[in-house]
Amino acid sequence: MSSVREGAALPAPEPRAPAAPAARGRGEPFEFRLSQLPVYFLLLVGAVVSFTPFFYMISTSLMTLGETINRRLLPATPQWVNYQRAWTEADFALYFRNSVVITSLVILGVLVTCTLAGYAFARIRFPGREAIFMVLLATLMIPSTVTFIPNFLMVRGDVIPWGSWINKLPALTVPFLSTAFIIFLFRQFFAGIPDELWDAARIDGAGHLRFLTAVVIPMSRPVMLTATLLTFVHSWNEFLWPLLVTTTPTWRPLGIGLYTFINEAGPETQLLMAGAVITILPIMVVYFFTQKQFTEGIATSGLKG
Amino acid sequence: MSAGGARARRTTRREWREWLTGYAFVAPAVVIIGIFGLFPIIYALYMSLYSWRVRKGAYVGLENYLRTVGNVGGAAAFFAGLLLVLVAHWLWRDAFSGGRSETRRWLQAAGALTLIAAGVSTALGWRLMTAAGDRAFLQGLVRTVYYGFGSVPIQIALALVLASLLFQRIRGRELFRMIFFLPYVTPFVAGAAIFRAIFSPRKDFLANTVLSWLHIAPQRWLFETKPLTEVLFGGILGHLGVHHISGFWAGPSLALVTIILFGIWTYTGYNAVIFLAGLGNIPPELYEAAAIDGASGVQQFRFVTVPLLSPVTFYLTVLGFIGTFQAFTQIYVMRQVAVRDAVDTASVVIFDTFYKRNDWSLAAAQSVVLFAVILILTLYQNRFFGRRALGV
Repeated sequence: MSSVREGAALPAPEPRAPAAPAARGRGEPFEFRLSQLPVYFLLLVGAVVSFTPFFYMISTSLMTLGETINRRLLPATPQWVNYQRAWTEADFALYFRNSVVITSLVILGVLVTCTLAGYAFARIRFPGREAIFMVLLATLMIPSTVTFIPNFLMVRGDVIPWGSWINKLPALTVPFLSTAFIIFLFRQFFAGIPDELWDAARIDGAGHLRFLTAVVIPMSRPVMLTATLLTFVHSWNEFLWPLLVTTTPTWRPLGIGLYTFINEAGPETQLLMAGAVITILPIMVVYFFTQKQFTEGIATSGLKG
Repeated sequence: MSAGGARARRTTRREWREWLTGYAFVAPAVVIIGIFGLFPIIYALYMSLYSWRVRKGAYVGLENYLRTVGNVGGAAAFFAGLLLVLVAHWLWRDAFSGGRSETRRWLQAAGALTLIAAGVSTALGWRLMTAAGDRAFLQGLVRTVYYGFGSVPIQIALALVLASLLFQRIRGRELFRMIFFLPYVTPFVAGAAIFRAIFSPRKDFLANTVLSWLHIAPQRWLFETKPLTEVLFGGILGHLGVHHISGFWAGPSLALVTIILFGIWTYTGYNAVIFLAGLGNIPPELYEAAAIDGASGVQQFRFVTVPLLSPVTFYLTVLGFIGTFQAFTQIYVMRQVAVRDAVDTASVVIFDTFYKRNDWSLAAAQSVVLFAVILILTLYQNRFFGRRALGV
């Protein structure tokens, strides 16, 4: 189910260039010089092009139907009621709840399974460790275009007779409860924890699980946050898979809700754009508050939902 | 040996516990990834050997592959051609890594010949394939190539420019970087929904309004099936008596070009952030030395920045193309019923074969073929970054 950019993780993370986005300029003080005017001009053009679609979305989402048809640039008076209508009439409240539930469960699952596995691959010796790790990593190269067909049969209960999960919560969560990329991320981090800490813990009679929960996890906040963000974005943006396994609104996530709305809303662009804002907003809020980690994490993994 | 054996026996019990803990820790992840990540590959291969339309039917051997690629020899030649590019690269790399000049020249010649052979083999193989293969899928592959070549080089070039501008001593760098990165963070469905509205064929919507400022006639954008060359040069060619352009070199439809624009909008900021990190790794002394030698800003860019960033550029290029071959959501959301097959790339075709045509085994075979292409691209990438990047 993993796929590069379009759905999940990557065959290989960012190589030589560490993704640290904090580019340091070649000098210390900021000063405005006239010769730099072209630089600012070009950057401004880039910013305008980048931002225009967002401006268009927000502006349109606050218009009346008449204003969207007459192509005003800005609404005369903001129609906040559009959001209310999208939220209730177009079922975005339900989709939003679904997305929140699905994403939370997936994040929880990924953190548990990948922490355990990452720890084992980094710090416990057992036969076949490297081989198993390599096989898991290899799954990162398999695109979702290949996996979605067998997986569809799988969640229908055709392969393993556990009954059909179509339109049920497990179909949207279980296949995503672990991913090799996050295991890889954790393994790298855990391998860097000094052996002395483990020796000390063992003298105190702690086993691996104690050591993991009492010492390793508290030390691993940054990598945990990165993993959470990556999983959040991935899960929130998942499209192909929920499109296949949700035929009714019961567990339909926001993305699919927006897509069905595109095909049903007809000319009511303002509601569509309000729906788009509702879909984008949670990601944006998280992005603004965790910008550095967010950019770093996403850039490292090349991940895109 | 006996001493080692004795020691092994003494520690066995503790070792066993350690092993069991290890297996218990990896078990949940292995089960999930095994079932939903690894097993599907085997099962897709299995499915592709049957006639499988919703229900499993008779064993048909390689027929689904034959229906997909049309001609086995052609497909073999095509994939061999793609792999020969790698061989050519090896020869060239050895040619430039030293040794006697005579051997070097031979290696260079061999590399060039291999590259030509790769091109010929790919082209001939492709012709044999298109003669009898699944039209929708093969056309989908062509569109995927358009999509890749239309978006990846442009987004990388723009990103390089933006990154080097951002790297100057300027005010508001953080703000600019954040704005450039926004499109990448936006969910594809939402972004595509916005683009659908902006690139509406109606005359007074945003894209056509911008064209009207430039005194260009409104376009039908996502509804336009005419190839780009015809849209651009149709007027001139019409005077020459040419009214329709077709074939590979006619280029993608304007509808696909609109989707390419979406790709550029989405990924330029991402690529710029990666480039920015790469720029931070270039030692400032190199610029100082270049400045002492009297190199201008543009010359510094050309002779210091560009060569030193080339590994990053290569990485982003391959990554971009792999992403292209997997692209699904944005195309699926932006395509209009009226032009449906003018924009469908390979992965969209596979989805339709499965979802609309209900031919599951054919879809499985197509996905395996697409996987083969992606795997070769990944091989290109791993030639340079594979094990080192993964740190194993």
